[in-house]
Amino acid sequence: MIRAPLVKALGALGSPTHQIASRAVRTSAIVAQTPAKAPDTIEVFVDDIPVQVLPGTTVLQAAAQIGVEIPRFCYHERLAVAGNCRMCLVEVEKSPKPVAACAMPVMKGWRIKTNSEMTRKAREGVMEFLLMNHPLDCPICDQGGECDLQDQAMAFGSDRSRFTDINYTGKRAVEDKDIGPLVKTIMTRCIHCTRCIRFASEIAGVDDLGTTGRGNDMQIGTYVEKLFLTELSGNVIDLCPVGALTNKPYSFVARPWEIRKVSSIDVLDAVGSNIVISTRTNEVLRILPRENEDVNEEWLADKSRFACDGLKRQRLVAPMVRMPNGELQAVEWESALIAVAKALQKANGQIAGVAGQLADVEAMVALKDLINRLEGETLVTEQDFIKGSGTDVRANYLLNSNIAGLEEADAVLLVGTNPRYEAPLVNTRLRKAYVHNELQIASIGPKIDLSYSHDNLGSDASLIKDVCSGSHAFSKVLEGAKKPAIIIGADILERSDGAAIHATIAEYCEKLKKPDWNPFNVLQNNAAQVGAYDVGYQPGLQRINQAQPKVLVLLNADAGKLTREQLPKDCFVVYIGSHGDNGASIADAVLPGAAYTEKQATYVNTEGRAQQTLPGVSPPGMAREDWKILRALSEVTGTPLGYDTLDELRTRLEDIAPHLTRLGKLEKASFNELSPKTATSKSISGGAIDVKQKELREYFMTDAISRASPTMAKCISAVNKQQRQDEAKQSVAI
Amino acid sequence: MSGLSHIMRQRPFALQMSASKVANVLVARWASSQDIAPMDLKSILARPEEVEQRNKLSGKITVPKAVNLSPISGVPSDHIRERRVRIHIPPKNAMQSGTDNLQTWQIEFDNRERWENPLMGWTSTGDPLSNMNVQFGSKDEAITYCERNGWRWYVDSEQTKKERVKNYGVNFSWNKRTRVSTK
Amino acid sequence: MAGREAIKRAVQQVRPILSVDREEARKRALNLYKAWYRQIPYIVMDYDIPMSVEQCRAKLREEFVKQRHVTDIRVIDMLVIKGQMELKESVEIWKQKGHIMRYWKESQDPKPTDFLSKFIQGV
Repeated sequence: MIRAPLVKALGALGSPTHQIASRAVRTSAIVAQTPAKAPDTIEVFVDDIPVQVLPGTTVLQAAAQIGVEIPRFCYHERLAVAGNCRMCLVEVEKSPKPVAACAMPVMKGWRIKTNSEMTRKAREGVMEFLLMNHPLDCPICDQGGECDLQDQAMAFGSDRSRFTDINYTGKRAVEDKDIGPLVKTIMTRCIHCTRCIRFASEIAGVDDLGTTGRGNDMQIGTYVEKLFLTELSGNVIDLCPVGALTNKPYSFVARPWEIRKVSSIDVLDAVGSNIVISTRTNEVLRILPRENEDVNEEWLADKSRFACDGLKRQRLVAPMVRMPNGELQAVEWESALIAVAKALQKANGQIAGVAGQLADVEAMVALKDLINRLEGETLVTEQDFIKGSGTDVRANYLLNSNIAGLEEADAVLLVGTNPRYEAPLVNTRLRKAYVHNELQIASIGPKIDLSYSHDNLGSDASLIKDVCSGSHAFSKVLEGAKKPAIIIGADILERSDGAAIHATIAEYCEKLKKPDWNPFNVLQNNAAQVGAYDVGYQPGLQRINQAQPKVLVLLNADAGKLTREQLPKDCFVVYIGSHGDNGASIADAVLPGAAYTEKQATYVNTEGRAQQTLPGVSPPGMAREDWKILRALSEVTGTPLGYDTLDELRTRLEDIAPHLTRLGKLEKASFNELSPKTATSKSISGGAIDVKQKELREYFMTDAISRASPTMAKCISAVNKQQRQDEAKQSVAI
Repeated sequence: MSGLSHIMRQRPFALQMSASKVANVLVARWASSQDIAPMDLKSILARPEEVEQRNKLSGKITVPKAVNLSPISGVPSDHIRERRVRIHIPPKNAMQSGTDNLQTWQIEFDNRERWENPLMGWTSTGDPLSNMNVQFGSKDEAITYCERNGWRWYVDSEQTKKERVKNYGVNFSWNKRTRVSTK
Repeated sequence: MAGREAIKRAVQQVRPILSVDREEARKRALNLYKAWYRQIPYIVMDYDIPMSVEQCRAKLREEFVKQRHVTDIRVIDMLVIKGQMELKESVEIWKQKGHIMRYWKESQDPKPTDFLSKFIQGV
């Protein structure tokens, strides 16, 4: 009786199908490394529909190819396969047991049944076990309405419960963990899918989360009480298929069916992550990532996700003019516009404009047109760049290998940059290449934790010369690599020898470059920067000091680099922007603008991809879209700009730089553009290279919006608290 | 007497009966006696221009393919001139793994101000169009729909899917960085 | 996009609604106009609106001229049908005074048209 299935099983082991299967697994591993060779496909049947798949494809992926979605909890496209939730069990013909579709590679001729009696029964059983220990608190759960467990219990669960032991042992209950100010935990709801653990260790590179105990006593947590401190922690909220990890600032705020979703672009770093803004009653409630393989995959950095409460605080809601007693007073738009227009007319062409971190391309073009019409010339960005005509050539300031491309790199040198905090989602690409592509990384700059191991070559600037002359050990690695890349931080190009660093690396990259691969990269850290260079702004505030303008227009310029002392005494400063920050405090007239969630505006990310934000809410109070303010101002000064609507302004944009209206498309700098001839002097003066954001606490507040955000302030205090505790523990140990 | 009264009673009816109906009856009788198909008297008695008109109405007319329905759609004219429609495939909700509602193209109007109703706390809006959710099988259908209604439109580019190789074994590979460090 | 341009110029064969050619559609529109024109004195009297017959006729003309650009025969037919329904409702006094007065939009503030006043009003 027993022997029959055993014999069958043993027979299967030695059967030809098994041999083919194991060969298929082996070939798949080879395929993963050399995608150039087109492998033969094999045929399988999903619900009797034939599918051609590559060897090594899992059952779940094969089913997805014809649109059959197998339910899952632990499986996630972008994480390693765990295979522990068992929800994806499906029947395969001639297999005695159901197989876990997420982990099982298909074999030739398999007949997979995703809706058979056995499959349904398996799912129902798994569901019953999961629900046995899951609390019935959906009405007070924040995940309610967008919960995978809820949905799948409806679709695949049993219609009644056999869990009657409520009086004796009761349901399993787990103590909640405190893992920081961003992620709220209700661990009783956890179904142990381990997605959060895998995300933390694979993507974020922080091995903080793990499981303890086994069987019914298994728990997810940090073991010792500790905050889950990483710049990507918010993503575990999205990954959690149940309500165990939820958004702390958003808790009990709204239900998913009562919010409107607006697809937009994030501007708090230069990556240009695609986001979905959730709004209700003219209020931004939360921000979620939106899938875009080329930019942010499916992740979002914490600042971009959680700084949205800064959009409601410190806002400028009415135009203000500085009165003779030195105080800013709220006035009507008419009087504010007239006050500014008078100053502009009196300035006699001695007008300058400064574009800050969050300025959009439309507003920058409008400002440029306005100042040019009033015969002003000086238009600069707050962020500095190399001296000379560095911004004339587009390849000089772009991330030329592009964000998705860095995944394929096999040797990377970071010069004066900390991508982990300057562009967290570029760093995840580097980490992905480190894990899956055996990427070798070295850095010149201070010793920092990049979430993957790398060689710190030292922080002296002269090392750049050593590497670029080919005498350094790492030069061999770069020269031997198939796809090498050198990433320069935008901040070190502000140095006095920035031009020399730029030229030296550019010249070396000329040597390293491959057909179809440009190794020269500048990692910008402001969303406005590339757009500003594209429409013809000059870098650096020194030009303002030289020009000594009578009127200075600050467009979202909040970095605090410009002070009243640097300007002439009689200079009239106009600030256009959304928040009352550094820029507004030195201004004589404040014109309230719209934040990125309130306007349709174009931003160009660090790789040169123009993308547009869409308005989720309307600007508060009397605030207006930035380009409209400038257009209105131009009319009051008597030199009206030639566009009344956004479409007309976009037509003007197209005249200046056609790629700015090809939204969503990557506009690479042409390949031979990169020219080291732009250098004036090539002597790197040496001295230590530093980066601004070395630790997590320096990451959270970098711009007007995140500085106004209470959540970001909480994050900083949490990090500080954690550090104090760690230090205390260390001193006790000593 | 009875025969006469019968006729008398019948007469008003006969008078009310229109000439064509009588003729119809007659023709039908005649036709049935002749054993040929009954003819439609309407077409026989119609004037030639009426016949022509009828033929034309049952036929086809030539109109331009680009139809603009905005004069008769009842949408206020400023909502036609000033709105722009975004044609897109809805993005996947990052919070969930389901993909069932992501297959169709949708149109979406630009977002306009909405506010909280001070009495009940409901969301109010003065905008009749932004809550309209229409799904289309293809991009071109959506574009045609927008053009027929006279709206300006733009298409948000599709996201490309990437194929990736999934392998359970790499979790345990002894010489690769894919080996899992935490469990 | 070249394909879409071609569609704009192309023609199609469709079933007519009422009119088979432009001339007939024009006739129908004129008939409707005349019918309204004749009924206006009675409408003014019946509804007792504070408008003169001349003002009403000017409004009638304005409403027709508004649709002058329409060339599609079927759209003209639909507009004529809608106009007839409107006329019927007015003549039969299925409407009220306010419905008639709504043609003048007296209670609505005119929307700003130039950029600066739009900007200041925030629309």
